[in-house]
Amino acid sequence: MKKSLRSVLALVIVISMMALVLAGCTPASTPTGSTTTPPPAAKLKTAMVTDVGGLGDKSFNDLSWAGLQKAQTDLGVSAKVLESKQLADYESNLTQLASAGYSPIFAVGFLMQDAVTKIATSTPNTNFGGIDIFFADPIPKNAVGLNFKEQEAGYLAGIVAGLATKGNFDARLNAANTIGFVGGIAIPPVQRYEAGFVAGAKSVNPSVKVISLYAGAFDDQAKGKELGLSLISQGADIVFAAAGQTGIGTFNACQSSKKALFIGVDTDQYMTLTNPGDTILTSAVKKIDTAVFSVVKDAVDGKFPGGQNKTFGLAEDGVGLSPYHDFDAKVPAAIKDAVTKAMADIKSGAVTVPSSLK
Amino acid sequence: MLNGFFTPDLFASAIRMATPLALAAIGGTICERSGVVNIALEGIMLIGAFFGVVVTLATGQVWLGVLAAVLAGVALSGIHAFASVTLRMDQIVSGTALNILALGLTGFLMEVLYGHPGATDSIPHQILPVFNFPAASGTGFFATLWNWINPLLFGYTPIVYLAIIAAVLGQWAMYRTTWGLRLRALGEHPRAADTVGVRVIAGRYVAVLISGALGGLAGANLSLEQVGSFSENMSAGRGFIALAANIFGRWTPVGSYLASLLFGFAQALQIKMQAYQDVLHIPVQFFLMLPYVLTVVVLAGFMGRAVGPAEVGKPYEKE
Repeated sequence: MKKSLRSVLALVIVISMMALVLAGCTPASTPTGSTTTPPPAAKLKTAMVTDVGGLGDKSFNDLSWAGLQKAQTDLGVSAKVLESKQLADYESNLTQLASAGYSPIFAVGFLMQDAVTKIATSTPNTNFGGIDIFFADPIPKNAVGLNFKEQEAGYLAGIVAGLATKGNFDARLNAANTIGFVGGIAIPPVQRYEAGFVAGAKSVNPSVKVISLYAGAFDDQAKGKELGLSLISQGADIVFAAAGQTGIGTFNACQSSKKALFIGVDTDQYMTLTNPGDTILTSAVKKIDTAVFSVVKDAVDGKFPGGQNKTFGLAEDGVGLSPYHDFDAKVPAAIKDAVTKAMADIKSGAVTVPSSLK
Repeated sequence: MLNGFFTPDLFASAIRMATPLALAAIGGTICERSGVVNIALEGIMLIGAFFGVVVTLATGQVWLGVLAAVLAGVALSGIHAFASVTLRMDQIVSGTALNILALGLTGFLMEVLYGHPGATDSIPHQILPVFNFPAASGTGFFATLWNWINPLLFGYTPIVYLAIIAAVLGQWAMYRTTWGLRLRALGEHPRAADTVGVRVIAGRYVAVLISGALGGLAGANLSLEQVGSFSENMSAGRGFIALAANIFGRWTPVGSYLASLLFGFAQALQIKMQAYQDVLHIPVQFFLMLPYVLTVVVLAGFMGRAVGPAEVGKPYEKE
């Protein structure tokens, strides 16, 4: 009797734990409400699957969602998001949305490449978009890869950093002529940022030393801080982090040590970090929201651009550099002019930014 | 090339990175000595980091945040104690469930409290280093010596020192006090301990709750001292590394601390080595792997057989 009571109690505990856990991973619970009843004209049900970083990464997941939300308001489609908590969720999330009739479905993040290729092949009547995904030949007719020339945004950030480290418009700039890069995981989009950053810095300051460190994770803030401190101790006075939430720790290293300026990534991080004004110089941005919106718009018009990989660079207004905000008055005109010139050169094709370090 | 490689900040970085591991590992040691495996340390650390930030943001008092982190750790470990000691559930199952619970609960509460997932705002005032002595200028012997001693001994935030105190105090308590003797008896032969009047259930509860407090403190170190904000899954596997450090340290508090220090040093070393990539020409993944390889090599090669408490993982039932 006593024993059976125990097992019942244990069962109750396990079930209530599971209930709480499920509550914790409720898909699609976003502050704004994920499924909104579309206006009457709506036909399309769009959706996206986040990478493990999930919504709130203030980076590519949030940007993709912003694109879908804009489509929801402007084009009258409905939008839904499923968050992946682990790599194993990719396929089941994509399948779940496809069988519920969503199309186009966006798979967000390089790591989802295999999953979305597989599901796109097996469900040919659903359209898929892959953010940071470069589909291999033969590209499924119902899939479009959306890629960005991160190297061009990185190049502009590199020009700012390469010139600023020689300058003296801020007390934190030292004489070491050294700048730093922090990467999350060494995957192509991050490596393109790095390659562009190094090339940009060297283009204006050939003797500059660029130290690159990788964390091996996008969600390890404490590691990001140690990487930042390590760069600073080696003389870096400007640090560019393309590392997701790991980069928040790197920002903290710059701010709390008062020894380096920070350059943000993907979004204008001036808007998303807490009191960053005294530390953040600019951000290398990637306009995923614009790209997602344009694909949904094409789909609404019946012209889904399947069967190809699209690449968005400076010329397509797909990447760029954010404003300098609090540093706007301090940043010398020479730096601003160099950035403007580089943008024109890249757009005209006079300068081609390398997409890898080699 | 090695000029500038072995610098004081390399060793300081190792000690900083060892701290959350060490606190959790010492907690794990005390817990396992009583006969209860606590693989929930990862979740305990995460929930401590979270509630530390929540309370600090709400009250503006960072030390209340530390207290909240410890209490949150105790609360989560309380569930583990109830499930595994009172209900005699499988301890691994309970611990795993709690890890998943902590990940889900922190994500869920973040939406409820702040309206968005991901990362919280930064707390207004991060915990600062205890001492703040200026660096010596010049290149003389004493100036150089001071510039090594200062960052290595006086450069840390309070919880870093607390971890060292916890290791020494834990070692003393485990081997020099009656409590320690009884604790070890609980893990080796609970029946014998019971026969001579040691309260097995209560003793195991205390040990599990202490591990929760130390795990919560480890979380506070991550969120309130190191980075000043919380982001989802920021414990990033440290709880599991801490369990390995506990075994590598042969279930002793000082051993756990030293094992954590070795791992922290390996991390600091690989970060420093990455900066020499232009000379070394080795893919970055190799460096990222080094700390784990080192752990395996040390565990397998230099340690011999590790023998844990005899009754660890087995629930005790009074006849």
